[in-house]
Amino acid sequence: MAAEDSRVDLTGFLTLTKREILRFIRRPRNTFAPPFITNVLYFSVFGVILGQRVGTIADVPYILFILPGLIVLGAVSNSFENASFSIFHGRWNEYIHEVLTSPLSYTGMVWAYILSAATRGLLVGGLIAVIGWGIISGLYRPVPVAEPVYLLAFMVVITLLFASFGVIGGLVAHDFDDLTVMNQFILRPLVFFGAVFYSLEDLTPLLRDVSLLNPMVYMVNGVRFGFLGTAEVDPRFSLVVLSGLTAAVALVDVALFRRGYGLTD
Amino acid sequence: MTNALEITDLRKQYGDVEALKGVSLSVPEGSFFGLLGPNGAGKTTFINVLVGLVRASGGEASVFGHDVEDDYREARDRIGLAPQEFNVDRFFPIREVLEHKAGYHGVPPEEASRRADEALKEVGIWDKRDTRFDWLSGGMKRRFMLARALVTQPDLLILDEPTAGVDVQLRRDLWDLVTDLNDRGTTILLTTHYIEEAERLCDEVAILDAGEIVTIASPEELMDRGNDRIVVTLRDDAADLESVAASVRADDDRVDEVAAEDDRLVVTARQGGLVAPDLVRELDRAGHEILDLEIKRTSLEEVFVDLTRREESTDADDEGANSTGEGAEPAGEHAGSENTAADADGSEADDVDTNDAESEAEPLIGDGGSVGGSAGREGGR
Repeated sequence: MAAEDSRVDLTGFLTLTKREILRFIRRPRNTFAPPFITNVLYFSVFGVILGQRVGTIADVPYILFILPGLIVLGAVSNSFENASFSIFHGRWNEYIHEVLTSPLSYTGMVWAYILSAATRGLLVGGLIAVIGWGIISGLYRPVPVAEPVYLLAFMVVITLLFASFGVIGGLVAHDFDDLTVMNQFILRPLVFFGAVFYSLEDLTPLLRDVSLLNPMVYMVNGVRFGFLGTAEVDPRFSLVVLSGLTAAVALVDVALFRRGYGLTD
Repeated sequence: MTNALEITDLRKQYGDVEALKGVSLSVPEGSFFGLLGPNGAGKTTFINVLVGLVRASGGEASVFGHDVEDDYREARDRIGLAPQEFNVDRFFPIREVLEHKAGYHGVPPEEASRRADEALKEVGIWDKRDTRFDWLSGGMKRRFMLARALVTQPDLLILDEPTAGVDVQLRRDLWDLVTDLNDRGTTILLTTHYIEEAERLCDEVAILDAGEIVTIASPEELMDRGNDRIVVTLRDDAADLESVAASVRADDDRVDEVAAEDDRLVVTARQGGLVAPDLVRELDRAGHEILDLEIKRTSLEEVFVDLTRREESTDADDEGANSTGEGAEPAGEHAGSENTAADADGSEADDVDTNDAESEAEPLIGDGGSVGGSAGREGGR
């Protein structure tokens, strides 16, 4: 029976993951076009036009300095948005009942939503990296990735983390405005004050200490370490903390599903 | 043999409102079981407890011996649900929706595709397999709901108002289909407003009113509880009939009422078919000449209305006039048990039928209201 349960769960999990990925893959105008356009504009304005006036930060061209931050911004917001939207939209239109009334385990359901949302975050992050790399290579020279393993590890962990937060967002939201509020008024300020466009060294000691309370700082710093090989915060410490946080949030997700929070009467 | 459903003292409380007040019933494996009740009676809440969409406040429910909470995976794997509301994934063509549903139940992809085709053919909408749900007509949507319930090949098929708003032909098609499934061994749990449906299909029905089981019996047993009308037309005049009426009433305790109307004797009695021969003999013995005899069998609908009205008036006596389940089911069902008669007439469905007729001519873009609309508006996130 246990083997049968595992087979059902694996097939169910893979089906839900596939369904979730197909949902955004089949809508490239909604999934990939907006980050493409937005980031071309970011790189053009902040990187090329303003970047020439700023010069260098931490001994690298400004456009290269902001590249990791923009990748993080795109990756985490897409991870969060995909999970939160998919769950909330399913609740709103009640088609999430197709999943909830199935024999799929709560853990299987949650991880299908998390992994598919993280996949979207990674794809969008990759798209932004390609855009940035293309522009930077055109302006300066091809940019080598200093720590590819760290880069990949950080990208995986932060997209999983924000996909996990997105699951909670999708469960607690009461209408579509709530999703907008979460993304625009919580997520984006955290990213923008997460040392995407500036170095922590440029801040006063007080602001620097306050910034260190922002988890985005560690994420941006970690991805920047992956690209440039230099970091303001120890990347190994960041990776451990972020991994632990991801596991904790995912456990909360499963507990909420098990309790039926936002899903059952 | 394990019962398909074993329910003991099932309760559900929404704040101060008790949607289910200790429901207990058993549904034998392989049976066709009907759950009748006015709007707000608790039917959908009851079903949703079984599939895990509502958490019971108390009591126990098991599906083929699997507790719906402790063994939720086993229980849900045995159930196929065709809900009243159109809660379908609008992002994908209907064939893929079925493949996904089968996949969630552990069916491998190739087998899921085969089953999806089979289910669509079975309900007669296979040629629409690449269409999204929003673009189906009303009748096709109802057929699809059944296909989705069938694609997992359930042992227990739960149909929540499956024929609400469908035309007569489709209703009969659906009846044939579910009867065939039942003949092949699938246990069916049917909720319906259409009393004729229950009378025609069900082995046994439970009448649920204001969260309580009023009675459980076969449709025949229920109809036996109602009063039939025997109308005898005689050649005698009314004056003579008064004495005959008094005689009949005194001789048979199954007789509830006897009235003389012009040249007719109207006898209201339980089991009218058994009373009629005795009545004819009595009249004949008394020297009356019978011109015509008509037995009007009570309908299940009359029994249903009578039972639910009786509950209503009892509750009103006990608790006040507004205690009969109005609003007793905040999630999913319309409140108000006052509409029993109108619903039994299918008056709600008439409106939908009108839409369906139009929908055959053009796709129902707006069907589902904000649902379909929001999918379009918000679908790009």
